[in-house]
Amino acid sequence: MSAPGWAARLPLARRRAERRRRRGFDRPRFLLAFFLLFVVWTFAPLLVVALFSFNSTPSLQNFEGFSLQWYDEFFSSVTLRESLVASIEIGFVTMIVGTVLGTTLAFALVRARSRVAQASNVLMLIPLVTPEIVAGVSALVLFTQIGMDLSLLTIMIAEITFSISFVTVIVRARLATMNREVEEAALDLGATRIQTVRLVVLPALWPAIIASALLIFALSFDDFVIAFFTTGESPTPLPVQIYSSIRFGVRPTINAIGTLMLVISFLIVALAVALPRLLGRRGEQNVLIGGEAG
Amino acid sequence: MLAPAGVWLLLLFAVPMGIVVLVSLGRTDPIFEAVYGWHPGNYADVFDPLFAPVLLRSVTYALATVALCLLIGYPIAYYIARFGGRWKTLLIAAVVLPFLVNYLVRTYAWVAILSDEGLANGILQDVGLAENGVRFINTSWAVIGGLVYGYLAFMILPLYAALDRMDPALIEAGKDLYGNRWQTFWHVTWPAAFQGVVAGCVLVFLPAVGDFISAQLLGGPDTYMVGNLIQQQFLEAQNWPFGAALTIVMMGFLLIWMLLYVRSATRASREASA
Amino acid sequence: MTANHTTTDPSIQATTGSDGTGSEAIRFEGVTKRFGATVAVDDLNLTIRRGEFFSLLGPSGCGKTTTLRMVAGFEQPTEGSVYLEGEPVDDVPPYSRNVNTVFQSYALFEHLDVERNVAFGLKRRKVPGDEIRSRVADALELVQLTGRERAKPRQLSGGQMQRVALARALVNRPAVLLLDEPLGALDLKLRKQMQVELKEIQREVGITFLYVTHDQEEALAMSDRIAVMDEGAVQQFGPPEEIYESPQKPFVAGFIGVSNLLPATVEAEGVRLKTGELFAPPLPEGCEEGASVFCSVRPEKIFLDDLEDGMVSVEGEIVERIYLGTTTQVIVQLAPDVRVVALEQNTARSRADDRWEIGMRVRLGWHPEHALVLR
Repeated sequence: MSAPGWAARLPLARRRAERRRRRGFDRPRFLLAFFLLFVVWTFAPLLVVALFSFNSTPSLQNFEGFSLQWYDEFFSSVTLRESLVASIEIGFVTMIVGTVLGTTLAFALVRARSRVAQASNVLMLIPLVTPEIVAGVSALVLFTQIGMDLSLLTIMIAEITFSISFVTVIVRARLATMNREVEEAALDLGATRIQTVRLVVLPALWPAIIASALLIFALSFDDFVIAFFTTGESPTPLPVQIYSSIRFGVRPTINAIGTLMLVISFLIVALAVALPRLLGRRGEQNVLIGGEAG
Repeated sequence: MLAPAGVWLLLLFAVPMGIVVLVSLGRTDPIFEAVYGWHPGNYADVFDPLFAPVLLRSVTYALATVALCLLIGYPIAYYIARFGGRWKTLLIAAVVLPFLVNYLVRTYAWVAILSDEGLANGILQDVGLAENGVRFINTSWAVIGGLVYGYLAFMILPLYAALDRMDPALIEAGKDLYGNRWQTFWHVTWPAAFQGVVAGCVLVFLPAVGDFISAQLLGGPDTYMVGNLIQQQFLEAQNWPFGAALTIVMMGFLLIWMLLYVRSATRASREASA
Repeated sequence: MTANHTTTDPSIQATTGSDGTGSEAIRFEGVTKRFGATVAVDDLNLTIRRGEFFSLLGPSGCGKTTTLRMVAGFEQPTEGSVYLEGEPVDDVPPYSRNVNTVFQSYALFEHLDVERNVAFGLKRRKVPGDEIRSRVADALELVQLTGRERAKPRQLSGGQMQRVALARALVNRPAVLLLDEPLGALDLKLRKQMQVELKEIQREVGITFLYVTHDQEEALAMSDRIAVMDEGAVQQFGPPEEIYESPQKPFVAGFIGVSNLLPATVEAEGVRLKTGELFAPPLPEGCEEGASVFCSVRPEKIFLDDLEDGMVSVEGEIVERIYLGTTTQVIVQLAPDVRVVALEQNTARSRADDRWEIGMRVRLGWHPEHALVLR
């Protein structure tokens, strides 16, 4: 920081700031108003979508009455149902495979000593900053050039490719903070390397693994661009369905789909926050049982 | 340990990129199949007067998006960091929450509201402000608005992180020393927030340039961005070599900015620790 | 630089004595460890006897921790071999060695409570449940933590975590216990207390302790024998009194306790100090006339004024006086680059402060036999 003059004023300024805060002086009204407006502006469109998904008429302007007809239309449509299932499948497969691959990569990179490993540390970040459209294009080009038909599988493969880095970054960060001597202690006390990972490393790592797993589930479930480029004829994932529908014009059915996706997204976030806490307590029991048996 | 993921990424990320480069140098044959060869002319086509405006527009829209995100996001981040108190984490989570929803759904929300039969026009007509409705959709501002709504979180989070780290007493000291608000902001707050601003700008600019969803749903042929063009070439016009060339050019453009950012960030952290 | 053995060579004694190899716990034969171009441990030859409290003492980077890790199995020697109880352990992984380590950072398992931490090693060896329970209880009693079985590491103080780490290692009854500066993070009072406790535990349990520290007071207080290391090599080893009273090298003299190293030259009739005085201390073998040496004199052996007959006498000016409670250090400048530290007791009868002032000229003296000549 520049001017050294005010470093000396710091203690006095701190006391004054403390006094002002206690007297509640510190809330410029403009900022507060702006903040509230902002919250309204960001939440309102989503609430509007949700509201009109329950409209009894196809109007998007006037709310006539409450009805579930649009959800009905959604669930009676085979295509849309299949799309929902397809999205969930994509989410799950990507979550499982991506988490496994990402975690193993994190293990390999966190103790990066060889030059290959150190270079990989940087290279692994590139998928994260690649624009989605580039990702989609490259995946599409790959699949067609090797003669693979586009389908849910190709979507999954592409999603996994771009999810691995998320997992690796999160898990590696957690691994890096773990005390190496704790692993050495386990080895010293008679645990083999595999046992050490199972009994000492993983219990501490679970929250990071779960958080990143849920993150890539959400990302691949929600993803549009990559899926758009790599999808087959049918079924197509839900976001692609939404996109195609919107091209034809707005309908309350899309509101229904949108609201559904909204709810699912929020559920995943809630899970991401709650699961580590739940597992945190039960995780110890599991380790003990494992310890007892092993 | 390195093997499974390393191999996967190599085969499914690095190799396809290479193929894209190859395709960009090829040509299409009469039945629209991509044929490999050496036709760097594709790259010249990219800057053809027909397509150059699209590139320019993408950059313009992206820059406008960055500017708006900064204008909107900064006060929010500042407010929460400075005045959030105990509720800081809760507030920032609440602010970010809407952005966790699918980008497509969020854009659709605005389509639904801004379209000719949408809520905005409905209200305006009811209130009597506009007889035949206002054309919101299919304008540059609608597209930019969609972009801002899409990427705002990427600006707020880094800003918040940088501002949160700042010591509030410094502001008081600054007010003491400089007298008025503006000077304080310029000499005290801005330098601290700077890293966050740069990070936020990069995180918004990069994806915004390649975005095509906002332009597609909220705009029209007049608001085409490079993303739309690429998508068109691959999925409609079947001119893969040209699409690939566009992709590579865009990637190159973005890579330059990324490298500049990384260089400045590492220099900043080196100076900070020195 | 090879180790400078004292006159009775303990390592030879251990291997060829009446007990044969049975009385040796750890043996290093020509052990060298290199990390790239750096030599961390240089041709180490040492034998540690069963049941002894052996310390590796030296400044940071001297190779003591690397040596310890080679015994534990976390590092492999680049050259030479390590023997545990007579058997070479070169390719044996840490989990198969009969040694346990107490780490500097305690390295407790955060997600397990105290009892399960201590029981960890026993569970790995598939010891039956009841035996585990009783052995864990004994171990906790030994370290005075009975009743804290359900506590988690984050609920414990530094000293308590230290004891859990100790119990966790000892409960396995290893042949050797390795301790890597275990008391470094504790405050002074607790550290002194733990030093006494560790010594008592070691005597009670009878296990060989290999203790690494940079604190020479700690090493002197606890050890049966000490090896002083510097730059990867053992400079001297032996019992504490020997190391302190008879340092063989300037480094050892300087590292252990406070010492005065007075530059001097060997002459026909004795040794002449740089400040001019001549006296005849006992000379080690091989000192030729004209050789440059150091005279090492311990501060407590120096008298201020009140000299006795036969003492070497030098003169200088007091430049500093440091009050340490029980004693006072008086620093005297004899010549432009020769300073001497003398120690005076503060007794009821005479407080050093009352007698000596900065700026005073004073006469110092010591008995010739208290001066060690070192090369």
